[in-house]
Order: sequence, then C-alpha cells, then structure tokens
Amino acid sequence: MFELLQGVPLFFNPLALAATTLGIIAGLVIGVLPGLGPLMGIVLMLPVAFHLPPIAGMGMLIAIYIGGSAGGSVSAILLRIPGTPIAAATLFDGFPMAQKGRAQDAVGLAMTASTLGGLIGGIVLLFFSPLLAKFALRFAPPEYFGMALLGVLTIAIVSEGSALKGLLAGGLGLALAMIGTDEFTNAYRFTFGNFNLSSGPHVVAVVVGLFALSELFFQIESGGFLDRPNVQRLRVSFRAFRLIVHHKVNLVRSALIGTFFGAIPGTGGDVSAFISYAAAKKMSRPGEVFGEGAEAGIVASEAANNGCCGGAMIPTLSLGIPGDGSTAVLMGGLILLGFFPGPELFRSHPEIVGGIFIAYMVGNIIMLLLGVVLAPLFGRVLRIPKAWLIPAVLLLSVLGTYALQSSVFDLWVMLVFGAVGYLMRRAHYPLAPVIIGMILGNVLENNFRRALLLSRDGPMIFVERPISAAIIAIDILLLIMIVVSTIRASRRAERDPGPDQT
Amino acid sequence: MFARPLIFAAGLVLAMPAWAEFPERNIENIYPWAPGATMAASQVIADAMGKELGVNVSVVSTPGAAGTKAFQVALEKPADGYTIFDGYVAPLVLQPLLGQAKWTYENFTPLWSATSNSFAIVIRKDESRFKDFPSLIAYAKAHPGELRYSPGAPNGLPHMVAAKVMQTSDAVAQVVPYPEIDVAIKDLRGGVLDFMITNPGVYQTNKDDVKVVAVLSELKRASETYGGAPRVQDYGIDLGMKGLAPMGWNWWLVRKETPKEVVAKLRDAMGKALARTDVQEKLMAMGYVPLGYGPDEYAKIVGPVAADLQSGMDAIAWEKKALQSVKK
Repeated sequence: MFELLQGVPLFFNPLALAATTLGIIAGLVIGVLPGLGPLMGIVLMLPVAFHLPPIAGMGMLIAIYIGGSAGGSVSAILLRIPGTPIAAATLFDGFPMAQKGRAQDAVGLAMTASTLGGLIGGIVLLFFSPLLAKFALRFAPPEYFGMALLGVLTIAIVSEGSALKGLLAGGLGLALAMIGTDEFTNAYRFTFGNFNLSSGPHVVAVVVGLFALSELFFQIESGGFLDRPNVQRLRVSFRAFRLIVHHKVNLVRSALIGTFFGAIPGTGGDVSAFISYAAAKKMSRPGEVFGEGAEAGIVASEAANNGCCGGAMIPTLSLGIPGDGSTAVLMGGLILLGFFPGPELFRSHPEIVGGIFIAYMVGNIIMLLLGVVLAPLFGRVLRIPKAWLIPAVLLLSVLGTYALQSSVFDLWVMLVFGAVGYLMRRAHYPLAPVIIGMILGNVLENNFRRALLLSRDGPMIFVERPISAAIIAIDILLLIMIVVSTIRASRRAERDPGPDQT
Repeated sequence: MFARPLIFAAGLVLAMPAWAEFPERNIENIYPWAPGATMAASQVIADAMGKELGVNVSVVSTPGAAGTKAFQVALEKPADGYTIFDGYVAPLVLQPLLGQAKWTYENFTPLWSATSNSFAIVIRKDESRFKDFPSLIAYAKAHPGELRYSPGAPNGLPHMVAAKVMQTSDAVAQVVPYPEIDVAIKDLRGGVLDFMITNPGVYQTNKDDVKVVAVLSELKRASETYGGAPRVQDYGIDLGMKGLAPMGWNWWLVRKETPKEVVAKLRDAMGKALARTDVQEKLMAMGYVPLGYGPDEYAKIVGPVAADLQSGMDAIAWEKKALQSVKK
C-alpha cells in the first residue's frame, strides 16, 4: 500500500488540483441538470482530459463522476427533478424537507452524506480492493438474479401506505423493462414496429416524466402563480456537519451498501440508493417519518450513491472490469492515457493507482466545500414565483431529456409518464417502485435465463452455489417478513378501523 | 435570480446561426456499443481528427438493438457533417442481411476505414481440462453440449466465427449470450464459462488471467495483436471466411446528403489523423489494426463481405440444431 504514496507528488500540483476542482464544478452542474448524468459529463470532457498529464486528466474525470453523482440530489431536493436516476431516492425525503422550509439543511445533508459516503467508499477501495475484487468475480448470473430479486422485494418496504399498490406500481416497472430487444434472440418485444422502442423507453425520460412533470401538473393545479414563497434566506452554513452526526450508523451502513453494490459490476448506484433507503426505513427510530422529510432518508440515499463511486472503481482498477457505465468510460480514458487497468497496473504503476486514489479522496473533500458554499445559491431557486419556476423547470426537463439521445420520441415518453405519474399520485400509488422495477427488470430476467443456460441441472444452480444460496435464503426470509407484516397490518386495520387512507 | 439567466443562455445557444465555416462546433461520432476498451480505439481517432479540424470530436456510446440503434439515432440528425456514423460491420452489413435494418452500405458516404480487430478463443490460464486448441476441441467432442461458451451478443460476428469453428471441427458446446464480450469475460474468469470469444481490447485488459488458444483470422497481423498466438488455420481448420469477413471492423461514414465540401474536409482530416505514426502506434498497442483503406475503396472492400457472412449465419443455424439434438 505504501507504493501508492508515490502518487502524492503527481496529484498535489496546481494543474491536477485545478483540474479536479473544475471537474467537481462541471460534475455538480451536469448532475443538477435533468438527464445529463455523470456518464454524459465524462464523455463530454474526455477529449479535454487527453491534453492533461495522466493524473490531472483522470482527476478531472473522476471529479465529474463524483460531482455528477452528488449534483443530481440538488434538483431532486429543490425541484423534485432527480437530475439523475440515482438521485430518485433522495427526493422522497429531500423534496418534502425543502417544502417545509429546510432546503438548506436538505442540500447540506445531501452534500455531507455524499462526501462522507464517498470517502468511506474510498477507504474500502484502498484497503479491500484485491479482496473485494476476488469476491466480485464469484458473482455470476445466479447471484445477480438473487440480488435483483432482493432489490425488487425492497419495493414493498419503500412503498408508502398500501403494499399492494406498491407491488402494482412495481409490476408496471417490470412490464416496462420487457420492452425492447431480447438479449438472447435479438427479437423485438412489444416495440409495435416502432424503432424508438428497440431498447425500451429511456429510463431517464420516464424518471423525469413521473417525478418532475407530475409535480408541475400539481403545481399548476394549485394556482398562486405570482406568490413569492416565504422561504428562509439561505447562507453558507456548516450546520449539516452537526446534523449528520445523529445519523452516523445510517451513514456508514448506507455507504457500505453503496460500496458493495458498486464493487459488483452491473448493479450500480440507483439500486444501492433504493436498497439503503429501504434499510434505513426498516431500522428508523420512532418519530422519523420517511417520505415526509426525514433526514435519515437523504443520508441513506446520498451516502449510498456516492459510496458506490468508490466501489465501482474497485473492479475497474483491479480487474479491468468496469463497475458501471461511467467507470467504463473512465477505464477507456485510462487506456487512452496509456495505462491498462488490472492487477498488473498495481504492480507496474503504483504511482498512477495512488494518484487516482488521492484524486478521488481529495475530489470528495473539494465537493463538500463547494457544495456548502454553493448551497445558498441553489436554495434561491425556491424563492422564485411559480410563474417563472414552472416554465424554467419544464424547459430544463425538456432540454435534459432531449439531450439524452437527441430524440423527440423521448419527449413524448416524458410527457406520457408525466400524465401517468400525475394519475398515479392522484390515486395514491407510489412512483418509486416503477423505477426500481424498470431498472431491475432486465437484470432479473436476463440473469435468470443466463443462469439456466449455464446450469447443467436446471434450477439447482441457484442453490448449489453457496453465495447464491445465501442470497436466495435472504430473499425468502424477506418475503416471509413482508407477507407476515402485511397480514398483521391488515388484521390490525380490521380490529381498529382508522380514518380512510386511500 | 437563477432561472432567468439560464433561460436566456439556453435561448442564445439554440438561436445561434450557422454563420461560420465548417466545422464551427463540436462533432459527434455515434458509436454503436457500450463504453469499454473498443470505444477507446474510436476515441484515439476522434481525438486526432479533432486536432486536424480544430474542434472536439466526441465519441457518444449509443448501444442497443445489435448496433442498429446508433445508426437510427444518427440517421435522424441533419446531414451536415456534425454527426459521424461509427460504421461497425454489425449494424452496417450484418443486421441489414438479417432483415433487422432497412439500409445497405450503399446508403452512406464513406470517410476512411478505421480499424479492424480479429477475434480469438480464450480459456482461463489455470484451466486444467485443456491447454490448447486441439485439446479444447477434443474435450468438447468427448463431452458434447457440456462446455459453456459465450460469443458476447448472440448472432453477431463473434458468434458466427465461433459457430463456424465448432461446425468445422464437429464439436458442440452450449452458447450463453451476454450483452457484450466485456461482461462475459468476468464469468470466464469466475469459472462459470469454459471458453469464450474475445476481441483484442478485452484481451489486453485481461491478459494476466486468460490464454489465447486460437486467433480466428488468417491474417498474420491479427496474430500479432494477441501476442503471437497461433491462428486457427495453423491447426488445419479452414474458417471459410476470408479477409475482413471474420473480423470486426469499422468504417466512418456520414449521411449520403452531406454537402461535398463538408465530406472533403472530414475525409482530409481523418486521412491525416490516421496517417500519424503516433495514432497508429497507439491503436496497435490496444490491439486494433489501422486498415488504411481510403473512401474510393469502400464499395470494393465492403461489398463482398455480405456474401461471406452468409456462411457464418448458416453455421449458427447448424449449431442450434446440433445443440437441440444433444439435449434430446
């Protein structure tokens, strides 16, 4: 590990520090804009990175990655637009918290949790890279299937109110995931001859429609377009540092969940954010009402999705197998700079690995400082009267969604899901399960089918492999827990009929 | 306030007229696969080409529908030279052949050919059941349908050459499709796959753990990109696919209606970029062989590929039948 310290002089020079700071700012901005996630940011800045020395270049790209992963939370909290799908879980509590006049705390908490989550991910990256990398290799299709099933089961926990409505919404998400090209035969499924559906509806278009557009419809409906909301004036404050101390267990747990999911290629930040949110909700203290502005909800989601960044770097650097789309482009950048990732890189160029690691850690700290300084600026958005805010949000949603793949069809998808989201909220159906189902549907189905193709004796493959068997056992236990608590809740409701909750 | 300047800025960007000479803004190369080692090869050319043109050329990964989604997306952009098709053989020749796309290679205006990459059969370094190509085939023959292999996505070029090898050697193994070769390699190293087809980029990043048993091309340079590993013909196997046919390659293209002077500028920049020795060395180091065919050779080179691919498609059909009879 001491060889990695050779990276210190490579990073601590004005150019690398400036490039990293610039990357964080670019990442935050790109994360705030709906649709443009960290992946797009890295792709756009890749050509610039080539003209820099390796560590300055990689520092900038990694900074965009972490800044972009955290930036999505700002628009989720303030405008109910998750800038990226990974921030979707942040808005459950972030938006209600901002509406209650605690925008500054919400943004501050999100930034602090992101940074600390990222740093915890980084420490795991430093100490456990080889170990976790070996573990990740033992994850094959049966294990992925079990993990995806675990993710789908969290729908029941994340859902507000009726578990049945949550499952129905999750079913809609799973159905949406079936649209597109079948991975095993290349046949088109439910595309109705429309080429735009050949990879299914774009998840970001669906997210922006469901969450942001439906909120706009509600805002328009409630009127008061010229009212100037009476929001507390925001200023630079380090209060969030104090607040987060109350959530230290949640923070560490969520960051570790994020790192773990990041380290397993192909699962990613969005799933880890939902799962750690579900875990925090299950273990919440009395008095914490999730979905109505609980601090713990923001901490769980943000710590997990930034912990995931550190996690995703583990297989990328130590195995040469990228953890997600963004790290795949990061790996491409590293190759272009002349370094092939893999175990050999740790031996032959420890200074490069060390420099990347330091860039990642320092990037996280720069993000915290910038996030705290910029929070008041972001917070001013809430003081804008609706007559200005609604068209601006609509413009941002349309620009961001169109920019995904320059497709007008995506705008239609956004609009349709805006209407769907509006109707679902009217009927008190939760929206998050749609996204979880949509993201996990493909992972679930394709790994199930792949596992059966790999197996030499049918479904036994799921129980013959120890890790898979353990995950499936957890799945079954969780399912039993959900069923039992649902039955208990309905019995209680029968005995003690309260006010109608539909 | 925050919203007003933003709206203004967005309006300004959208309303900017095209007054300057081409290129006056960044150019996009629409790349048909997920990000990974192969994308880096396109990025090397894009970067060098951008330097010639004085703007950035960014490589935008647009995976989906066996590569045709990228073509569809690029076809919807204006024919102004700001969008380049990263014309890989799968969306350009193969998918139209399979009836999955409406265009043919003649519907595009070629710039220069970019790179070619051959495929190879790899096994784990610590594999004990077989050590080389003959022993792998012997094992597969002795245990029909027992070995698991992945060619990445199904029915693509790597699958064709793999099926062709299996058909010629009369051996059967279970195909397990993965979305990309980059994903499948993890399961080869993890021990659930027994062998697989790889490209040079994925091989380079995994060469500490995998061993090439046969390069699936007759060309000598192809063997060089896999550290001098033996070619399949060295074992007396005739692939029946010559030249570019059994290989992945890409030819950068623009829409047919693109103005002539814009095409000329792009061709000139790409030609100069590819002629640079540092660009060629970088590509070779990554396992991608610069092809060096100019725009005038497009029809001559790409035309015959389609006929050769038919034999690969027949091999996949043979494999499907053989697998079914093994299962019975």
